[in-house]
Amino acid sequence: MALSLRKKQLDLITRMLHLNQQQSSPDGGGEGEEEAYKILVMDGPCISLLSPVLRVGDLRKHGVTLHLNIDKARQQVPDAPAVYLVRPTPANADRIAADAAAGLYASFHINFSTSVPRPVLERLASATAASRSAHRVARVADQYLDFICLEDGLFSLAQPRAYVSLNDPAAADADITAVVDAIALGLFCVASTLGTVPIIRCARGGPAEMVAAALDARLRDHLLAKPNLFTEAASSAASSFQRPVLCLFDRNFELSVGIQHDWSYRPLVHDVLSLKLNKLKLPTEKYDLDDSDPFWVANSWLEFPEVAKEIEAQLAKYKQDVDEVNQRTGGGRDGVEFDGTDLIGNTKHLMNAVNSLPELTDRKKMIDKHTNIATALLARIKERSLDGYYRCENDMLENGTVDRTMLLSLLSGKGTKEDKLRLAVTYLLSFEAPPSSELEQVEAALRESDVDMSAFLYVKRIKSLNTQFAAASSTASRSNIVDWAEKLYGQSISAVTNYLSDGRQLALTRTVEALMEGKPNPEVDNYILFDPRAPRSGTAGQFRGPFREAIVFMIGGGNYIEYRSLIELGQRSQPSKHVIYGATEILNGVEFIQQLAELGQKAGLGSGGSNLPSQ
Amino acid sequence: MHPSRSAPASFRDRTNEFRAAVESARRHAAPSPAAASASGGGGGPLDDSLSAASAQSEFKNRASRIGLGIHQTSQKLARLAKLAKRTSVFDDPTLEIQELTAVVKKDIGALNNAVMDLQVLCNSQNESGNLSKDTTNHSTTVVDNLKNRLMSATKEFKEVLTMRTENMKVHENRRQMFSSSAAKDASNPFMRQRPLVAREASDSAPPAPWATDSATTPLFQRKKTNGDHGASSSSTPAFMQQQQLAVQQDSYMNSRAEALQNVESTIHELSNIFTQLATMVSQQGELAIRIDENMEDTVANVEGAQGQLLKYLNSISSNRWLMMKIFFVLMVFLMIFIFFVA
Repeated sequence: MALSLRKKQLDLITRMLHLNQQQSSPDGGGEGEEEAYKILVMDGPCISLLSPVLRVGDLRKHGVTLHLNIDKARQQVPDAPAVYLVRPTPANADRIAADAAAGLYASFHINFSTSVPRPVLERLASATAASRSAHRVARVADQYLDFICLEDGLFSLAQPRAYVSLNDPAAADADITAVVDAIALGLFCVASTLGTVPIIRCARGGPAEMVAAALDARLRDHLLAKPNLFTEAASSAASSFQRPVLCLFDRNFELSVGIQHDWSYRPLVHDVLSLKLNKLKLPTEKYDLDDSDPFWVANSWLEFPEVAKEIEAQLAKYKQDVDEVNQRTGGGRDGVEFDGTDLIGNTKHLMNAVNSLPELTDRKKMIDKHTNIATALLARIKERSLDGYYRCENDMLENGTVDRTMLLSLLSGKGTKEDKLRLAVTYLLSFEAPPSSELEQVEAALRESDVDMSAFLYVKRIKSLNTQFAAASSTASRSNIVDWAEKLYGQSISAVTNYLSDGRQLALTRTVEALMEGKPNPEVDNYILFDPRAPRSGTAGQFRGPFREAIVFMIGGGNYIEYRSLIELGQRSQPSKHVIYGATEILNGVEFIQQLAELGQKAGLGSGGSNLPSQ
Repeated sequence: MHPSRSAPASFRDRTNEFRAAVESARRHAAPSPAAASASGGGGGPLDDSLSAASAQSEFKNRASRIGLGIHQTSQKLARLAKLAKRTSVFDDPTLEIQELTAVVKKDIGALNNAVMDLQVLCNSQNESGNLSKDTTNHSTTVVDNLKNRLMSATKEFKEVLTMRTENMKVHENRRQMFSSSAAKDASNPFMRQRPLVAREASDSAPPAPWATDSATTPLFQRKKTNGDHGASSSSTPAFMQQQQLAVQQDSYMNSRAEALQNVESTIHELSNIFTQLATMVSQQGELAIRIDENMEDTVANVEGAQGQLLKYLNSISSNRWLMMKIFFVLMVFLMIFIFFVA
């Protein structure tokens, strides 16, 4: 039973839009007796939540006529019910109360995207009671929906700068607890949308353990009440029998993935052209890149040159089809015999041709879109010589070798400041102990290019302090690596990079695979296990696998590169496993290096003079 | 507290908690006499918009009735489609299909009129009344949505009819295969007549559906004359032959009627294709827009505009102060001048 997070979220949102009424039948006649036309009011974060999942056409299908922002001035629509989907903050409660007092809409169905805390609910209640408009509120509900589901297996909690907040040396305990709680609440929403209680595994120490403990506590509390969200979900037929494993990781586990350059289409678009919420904004146009685009779905993980070839192939095929259509209708007109049946046959040809016109126009639009994107990418790649960066980083991370001249030439050559910084940090991360002369040359080259050194110095400091870092280079076979790493690092996790025939495997993927297989593995044996359903005491009944499904969560910033390797893991396992990947936010290399730079400055490592690299 | 549901709930209903909190807040805020007037006072804000509300609620009632009508019609259409798909030759529920077709046609016609009326009402309300922009958008969108749904129902209806005529042709062929003896005599006149039918069709194809009436009448006349010819040519006193001819005439009438239906439907299809082409462009508008499409831009623009206005206000007021100061200084100088001169 594959868990499709996006479909489940869409089901819940649909039910909410139908005013939480019981759907009478799942197909066709599911509109019930009468369908009211409603107004949807949302706040900013909830608009971002809905936009990858629903479009305006879908909203219209569900009977929503207007979608408005709660913060903007709205006018009265006295005969329509209003559905609110907002985050449970006091400001939102005040605005809703103001709307109710002004009687903007006929009835108010208020849905909070997560559990509304008691004080906020009371604030809303007292405000509406004071203005005597509480009778207009038809329903108040908690929809556990507070995550952005970008694709079927990819979600984000939209908690910006979580990495900075958690690693800030000057952060107060209260702040860190707040961040950890927010992450746990988001993960709770994911678990309840999926309808299963996962088994939680995380490394010892660090934010992962804190989040796991918070989430475990929350799930246990919730499961005490019966009926609860999970029993109701289990009673419906669409639940899976097995529980998935939720693997929590901290970004510090494998830092190099967050900043490296990649050469596949999707990570390139994300990195270079900044794809946000499946939306791409070029200087001239805006594009949507999601599941509705078949070319994107089929080709987004290919390397960039192959993508260009694919576009050309599609264009040739399109031209061929257009010619065929022209022939059938244009040429046919001369040869038509006005005979009864043939008239019908001919009309059929014409009708088919006309019906295929929308499809052809769509294909042409798609080809144009990808051609424009590829052209923009190519321009930037040439400008910044990104292929050189990619090759250099790949060599360092995969082979453990570095071409010193290429490295130094890149550092002093083309490329933005962030590119150079990323290359330098990758250099730092791929070698356990780089020779100091080389290191000095690298630093000198960076300073020459007027690059802000805070991120570099920060990473250097962390590397020396922290034994949890990914730093070992490897050229030998797999088992050797495990032994050697175990010797070196003992109890802490050694994230090593392996060279496999089909490309480099990330440490994350290997760990997830080990966790899902459930066989004794020295790497993951000392991962903590939390099982919210099991009794607190004792380790009896701890289920360690094998698991068919997994949810992988990265605290601090996820990445399409990791997403791809997890998809590949799912596909190549026998039988195929299903992995969902999520993070506090999906960052590209530029944004992450900025967060590192910010941390460096907070730690007082910034070199005087140059400012933060501008965005 | 919650009744057991068959669908996954996955949300927590806090309405009861909310009501309890409202009650306690009310009790805290005001003693009982005020609470008694709470229900009356709650109607206060409503009274102002009551007149507009009544007009609006009529709109809403009509809209929901039309929606219900469309829903029921599509259910009937589903039944019709199932009936029309049956391909057994001897068990043809023609009568039922025809009845259902007539009912659906009437329904669609009535719904069409209702939607047109609703549109007129909506336009009049939007232009005359002092309704907010959101309300006008809401009503316009409702009417558009109803029109789209009605159009899709009509399209479905047309497809069902096309399928039905195709099936009837298939029936005809099979019937001819099974009853081949009668078919042999019947096929000859049928074949003789076909070029005539076709020629008429070619003439009437350009003027589209409205011309079918004029096209059918000469055909009917011709049919009658051919029938007469058939009858007169075979006026030999064999009763069996006459019966056979009667059967033949019936069968050509049937087959001719079917051919006519074919032609009519194809002409309709042609006209629909051209209207489709025209509406295809206009329809693409809303379907693929993202929800957050203009949000950021509009918010940014609004904030920017606000900032500009504030700045302007500041500059105006500061100018005023400046002007006042300058005015006073001028006055002082004037006074001094007057003192000196006068």
